[in-house]
Amino acid sequence: MALLRREFAMLFGVLRPCRRAAVRTASALRNLCKPPASMVIGLYRIGFLAFLMALWQVAATRMGSNVLPSPLATWKAAQTLVGEGQLIVAVGDSLTVYLSGFAIAVIVGVPLGVIMGGFRILGKTLEVYVFALAATPRVAFIPLIIVLLGLGVEAKTFIVFLGALMPILINAYAGVLAADEELLEMARSVGARRGRIFTSIVLPGAVPFVIVGLRIGATIGLINTVVAELYTAVRGLGGLLAIYGNTFRMAEYFVVVLTLAAVGVIVTESLRYIEARVSRWRVI
Amino acid sequence: MTSAGDPAERSGDAEVRVVLDRVCKSFVPAGGGERVSALHDASLSVGSGTFLALLGPSGCGKTTLLRLVDGLIQPDSGTVRVFGAPPRPGPDIGFVFQSFRLIPWAKVSRNVDFSLRDLGLTAAEREERTRRVVKMVGLTRFADAYPSALSGGMKQRVALARALAPEPKVLLMDEPFASIDAQTRELMQIELMRIWTRRRPAVLFVTHSVDEAIMLADEIALMGPRPGKVIETLPVDLERPRWTYDARAEPRYVELRQHLSSRMKQFVLNDPASEFFGRDLGQPDATGP
Ligand SMILES: Nc1ncnc2c1ncn2[C@@H]1O[C@H](COP(=O)(O)OP(=O)(O)OP(=O)(O)O)[C@@H](O)[C@H]1O
Ligand SMILES: [Mg+2]
Repeated sequence: MALLRREFAMLFGVLRPCRRAAVRTASALRNLCKPPASMVIGLYRIGFLAFLMALWQVAATRMGSNVLPSPLATWKAAQTLVGEGQLIVAVGDSLTVYLSGFAIAVIVGVPLGVIMGGFRILGKTLEVYVFALAATPRVAFIPLIIVLLGLGVEAKTFIVFLGALMPILINAYAGVLAADEELLEMARSVGARRGRIFTSIVLPGAVPFVIVGLRIGATIGLINTVVAELYTAVRGLGGLLAIYGNTFRMAEYFVVVLTLAAVGVIVTESLRYIEARVSRWRVI
Repeated sequence: MTSAGDPAERSGDAEVRVVLDRVCKSFVPAGGGERVSALHDASLSVGSGTFLALLGPSGCGKTTLLRLVDGLIQPDSGTVRVFGAPPRPGPDIGFVFQSFRLIPWAKVSRNVDFSLRDLGLTAAEREERTRRVVKMVGLTRFADAYPSALSGGMKQRVALARALAPEPKVLLMDEPFASIDAQTRELMQIELMRIWTRRRPAVLFVTHSVDEAIMLADEIALMGPRPGKVIETLPVDLERPRWTYDARAEPRYVELRQHLSSRMKQFVLNDPASEFFGRDLGQPDATGP
């Protein structure tokens, strides 16, 4: 809950006081669930998973296997899909599109957001357009992208890039703008010049914001990967989704859905891990 | 050269480190609205090696005065001179802020080192100096700790170390001990006196506490509110070090204390913006229900 609040505060730039309070609650929460508690939470999670599986099983028997496959049928389908190799190929295709699109979005978005924040006039000039673009459903651009880039990897990568770019850029921008006024004045009083103030106060202060942006960007990027694969040349996990969905092979379809979920979890958890590493100073 | 009324001339040019002459400063509040006058015709001069306490009620412009002396903000009118020139923020003037203002993602030693970066020292010299100052404030064991692991008193000592590290000739301290418990405060005061005796920077020390002002200062500048100005400057002619004997029992101490306390109380009672405005403290709760 606290984490969510923090993300919203950062995303919308409702900045300092809110951020402080949120950080405090977040670290208080983290302190509450240290070692022994985290083991208990782990057990609860496994318990909940068992509950979900049971629910799934019950729903599957009620609805019939051509609507909802049972967990066991799904597991068997997974084994064949992996064994025959098409799942691996699809994951490879999707990851290529996803990771390269996301990487380009990071390489473009973070510096652009930082520059916009650093040069206030530039930022003020561009922010209207950035916000407008961020508010436009990016799917709207897909036909145009297909016309320009075709149906291949380039078009798919671009769709992912476009989706991930905005949250990354906007959060980096917000992070720079949210620089702590008191620290800035302290740095000025010490005689630090603009460049040093920027690198030693403004940029490190923006890191938590940037990471939240990366996490949101990673999620949207994954969504756009699937969307791109559905709209353009049908390949990757999105392609399998379309094929199995259209032919009502629900067990295989479920395997693909779960694979996507796994990719999403792995990526966002890695980012969370990175966040914990860079903000070690907060937790003592 | 200068007019007879110039405070710099009155106290002898060479000796004077900080001079404010009829300084006015007002602010437009962040949310917009009417200009607030923070300082009006404030004049003050601080001789070299002098420990001056700025005593005044909340909101009378003490922080504003320090920021002017550091050159962080410019006066609307009047002049501010430090070493005879308009001040520029830098290593010659140290500032201990009311809030600690430590960099949360930097360890203690890096926080202290932060004020040494523009002095043209080598990395080794900076490291050596940092170690020395951190030791001076008694935090050697915590040099590699992040600020979040420190108590309020320790954070304040880091802030003090950062301000002292470049060996400033003027030290500005904004209620540095206000948020520290009484025991630690007294130890910190003694420690500060020791450092000051050794280095002898000119100190402008802001405080709400009459006792703190008398125990520490050579001179006390009493400030009054709305608009903020320096009302009077009083010498504290009590022998130093004041902790080695019971200075509080001295007649001069009692006299100063009574005078300053009653003036401070008056400010609050006569200030229309104060909650205690117009109350008669002589009567047992005349305004009660
Ligand atoms: N940046 C600013 N913007 C708007 N108003 C300000 C600003 N700085 C100070 N003021 C106003 O100027 C007046 C004096 O403020 P200042 O902070 O100097 O008081 P102070 O004596 O330090 O008070 P305290 O003892 O509570 O710290 C106050 O009325 C305050 O509201
Ligand atoms: Mg103040």
